[in-house]
Amino acid sequence: MSDLADLTLVEAADAIRDRAATASDLLEACLARLDAVNPAINAVIWTEREQAREAAAAADRAVASGAPLGRLHGVPLAHKDMYYQAGRPCTCGSAIRRDFVPDHTATVIERLAAQGATCFGGLNMAEFAQNPTGHNRAFGDCHNPWSLPRITGGSSSGSGAAVAAGITYGSLGSDTGGSIRLPASACGVTGIKGTQTRVSRYGVMPLSFSADNVGPLARTARDCARLLGAIAGHDPRDPTSSEEPVADYEATLDGDLRGQRILVPTNVLVPNADAPVLAAFEAALAVLAARGATIIRRPLPLMDAVSAYVAVLSRVESATIHARWMRERAADYAPHLAARIYTGYAIPGVYYVEALSQRGPILKAFAAEVFAQADVIASPTIPTCLPTLADTDIDHGPPGTEHRFMAVSANTRPFNYLGLPAISQPCGFDPNGLPIGLQLAGRPFAEARLLRIADAYQRDTDWHRRTPTAIQESIRAKEMA
Amino acid sequence: MDFAVLTQTQIETWHAVAPPNNAGKRMAADTASVIAAFEAVRDRLRFEDEPASFETALRETKETGV
Repeated sequence: MSDLADLTLVEAADAIRDRAATASDLLEACLARLDAVNPAINAVIWTEREQAREAAAAADRAVASGAPLGRLHGVPLAHKDMYYQAGRPCTCGSAIRRDFVPDHTATVIERLAAQGATCFGGLNMAEFAQNPTGHNRAFGDCHNPWSLPRITGGSSSGSGAAVAAGITYGSLGSDTGGSIRLPASACGVTGIKGTQTRVSRYGVMPLSFSADNVGPLARTARDCARLLGAIAGHDPRDPTSSEEPVADYEATLDGDLRGQRILVPTNVLVPNADAPVLAAFEAALAVLAARGATIIRRPLPLMDAVSAYVAVLSRVESATIHARWMRERAADYAPHLAARIYTGYAIPGVYYVEALSQRGPILKAFAAEVFAQADVIASPTIPTCLPTLADTDIDHGPPGTEHRFMAVSANTRPFNYLGLPAISQPCGFDPNGLPIGLQLAGRPFAEARLLRIADAYQRDTDWHRRTPTAIQESIRAKEMA
Repeated sequence: MDFAVLTQTQIETWHAVAPPNNAGKRMAADTASVIAAFEAVRDRLRFEDEPASFETALRETKETGV
């Protein structure tokens, strides 16, 4: 077997179940990879190695005893550092919460543990989950494993980088405007945001009551199916979580795309993409069409309203959440974040209520028109070739840098306002050698369909199997030393 | 009054939050684009008279088969 750290999550779980590898073997492989590459990419904020080793040993004893095993038994994971675990650090990527230790545990962490997963650390992220690039003043910027000067995408920057680098088999991220899909795209991994309300948010740092979502990043669609299946479903401790039944996502992964209708927008998301991104996107559509999907090209309705309203919700809600700290210790935020939160106070309440109250009617009108013609909407996840950290550094760049910064999430934000599920998967590379992502969005609770299409695509392509060049170099350098 | 100054004054008055830095001043002034975006869709979408919720809309438009 090659390096255990390079297995997919499902392969890792199967290896433990089949006794081809132990949970301890897998954990040590992840920690060795972490030691080799994290100094370069800065994806991991903290680790609890001895606690993780004890958990892995316990998992191995359970295998030996013949006890029933969960679908993630013994698989070591690390998550964006905003999921509360009683008694463990949770920095939220911020100086303000550098010493925060929660007294309760997030439902999603408990659900992963119920399936046998273990957790060995907390991953870097945008401060308070509020940038699309991976900049972080408190813990240092996260660097893209494919090219260190480039952005990882954010806000789940460490999740994207760590999964791509083989530090962890999967990771929970969060997505309020694209924060799962952007790092998935930029780092060449797969990430899915479920329907709004699909996954419990109990014990998760809040950013926006209306638009926050929890979801997984991993190397394949099948890996994401397993993780999402473990965490989705109603939680009495999160009364906003949906009581809709959870599908067996893995059971639908059969590679068959016959009858699937894929809409390519002709007015937004696609026409302004950079040429190399567009070329990779069109090539991906051809792969899907070859498997039986029908490609439809039509404009998306109501996108001007979506664009107006999406700019309001999370800004106002974040400003509300951070009000006390903004009054008392604004200097403890990164300048770009303080500036971003500050703008939320300028939005009138009437605008906020309008944006909130139009959300349902807009969704119904949008769905009635779009999903009568198509099953999913396809677009590039990030419409441009991936910029550098320097190009998008608001804190040190010239005025106007904020526009390049916000452009990164232009294609992902609309689906947060609409509450629709969306997935990103790798579909090629730009001329600088950085991954390009294919985004698919579906109607509410269409997670199984999105995973099915993504899995089918990955059966015919190998973009998701490639190893970042910067990682290969780091490993070689470590071995030489 | 200049829009940027007006915005800062209103934020200070209503929320007791001072501009954190120059980027904050620039970005707050940029909320003029929010006004423009709202103006562009003003009166095109009507409020529903009857009670409704976004969660209900999610259920009403949900996936029914793969």
